[in-house]
Amino acid sequence: MNRNSAHVHIANVRKVYQTRRDEIEAIRAVSMDVQNGEFVSILGPSGCGKSTLLMAIGGLLPITAGKILIEQQEVTGPRRETGVVFQSPVLMPWRSLMKNVLFPIETLGLPKKDYESRAVELLEMTGLAEFRENVPTELSGGMQQRVAICRALIHNPSLLLMDEPFSALDAMTRDYMNQELLRIWQEFRKTVLFVTHSIREAVYLSDRVFVMSPRPAVISKVVDIALPRPRQLEIEETPEFNKYVADLRKSIEGHIEEAPVKGQGAA
Amino acid sequence: MAQEAERGLGAKTLAQLRRLILPACIFVVLVILWEIWVVTQKIPEAILPAPLVILHTIGLRIELLIQHTWPTTRECLAGFLLSVGVGVSIGILLALSRFFRNGIYPLIIAFQVVPKVALAPLFIVWFGLGSTSRTLLAFVIAFFPMVVNTYAGIESTDPIMVRMARAFSATRWQIFRKIEFPNALPYIFSGLRIGITFSVIGIIVAEFVTAQEGLGYLIIFSEGNVDTPMLMAALTMLSLVGVILYGIIVGIEKLVIRWDVGQQL
Repeated sequence: MNRNSAHVHIANVRKVYQTRRDEIEAIRAVSMDVQNGEFVSILGPSGCGKSTLLMAIGGLLPITAGKILIEQQEVTGPRRETGVVFQSPVLMPWRSLMKNVLFPIETLGLPKKDYESRAVELLEMTGLAEFRENVPTELSGGMQQRVAICRALIHNPSLLLMDEPFSALDAMTRDYMNQELLRIWQEFRKTVLFVTHSIREAVYLSDRVFVMSPRPAVISKVVDIALPRPRQLEIEETPEFNKYVADLRKSIEGHIEEAPVKGQGAA
Repeated sequence: MAQEAERGLGAKTLAQLRRLILPACIFVVLVILWEIWVVTQKIPEAILPAPLVILHTIGLRIELLIQHTWPTTRECLAGFLLSVGVGVSIGILLALSRFFRNGIYPLIIAFQVVPKVALAPLFIVWFGLGSTSRTLLAFVIAFFPMVVNTYAGIESTDPIMVRMARAFSATRWQIFRKIEFPNALPYIFSGLRIGITFSVIGIIVAEFVTAQEGLGYLIIFSEGNVDTPMLMAALTMLSLVGVILYGIIVGIEKLVIRWDVGQQL
């Protein structure tokens, strides 16, 4: 693959929702390039259309205008080289963790046997190996979301899409999950597109942060996060980190007149 | 929302069994009170026989009772299984096909308004006094809850779950088989529980009408002879059949549905 060409190329994407009465312009014009192996966050207030954009990249929502290319190919539907983690874990309560993780293998028609050891490895890596035969309801929310991450990685996708995956977790679990995610990412070096409304989370995780304006969304700012890796949680105490946070906050503050309400479902 | 404190199937089953102790004790007390009341008040046997008399009758006429229990059970199961097969299939078609949903579902609901029991004479005209008429009556009565529960179960699937499956390139058929159908199972099982009870009702009514064989026939026959102890004995056997069939369904449900449905329903 050409190292210089973008892994994900988004050009002038526009998304208009048709309601019974009128049209809602969720995304006006968004363009961005994401390089191979890059960790990119899309940061914006709730309801700004960032989840919409992510779902469009995942091939789960059609766009009104513009182009989304992944590995030079136009996205027309879900692609097998993409893994998705949603806001909630969306695990099947009737399946064991192991079988939940192997779900994409079944739908993609891959040989299950070849991936069983990988599933165990992933569960081991996330510290869940001992629960592999448990059902999801026996686990905490953070553990369930880790299973969802394993599921998104099982078929070895080159692109990982994460839609506010930790927004439903408490602050401490969230810190822990962020650390875990970085550790996993360090190991696999996938391209990650991470949607969040937490500035600190975006800075801690990302190589670059794209700031989205409220609806109709445009990219209002792109910030390179030149913090060294691997990053530990202590990095959040450094002036460099907090400078990024302050800058991003300033650029977002212009957008928000009222405090954002925590969104339900895909915003 | 049933939030079970105890985890694991064994602990759950044990807790459920423990919950049966109290109602069982109350049942026994009620039967004893019934016995005392009938004996002390000298209530005629033809009006209300005492539990011990009923028990005695069962012991005395056990062969006759079993001879009539068998066809009732057999037809009941046949009608029930037919309603499961047809009902679940139609429920699935309703969920998957807009044509069925818009074109057939209203007709099924309209048909539900017809009291099924009233169809018994018609079935006799069509299929005679035999087993076929009785089985079909049980079928038409048990059919509706199967359809509605299957359809509702599939419809209750969280759209996010479907979106997740689509994200991993699941086909329409895979979404149905791996997401929607398992999601519908708890609903289908509550349909089965309703269906088996309805099926018993259907058979008994049909036996009243066709008056050939079965516990329903025995009840009508005993009533004609003012043999109330025999009537009660047949009724007891019938209740036993109902409880056992229901118990089997619940047992299978416990084996199949091992996840916490509280979150789902």
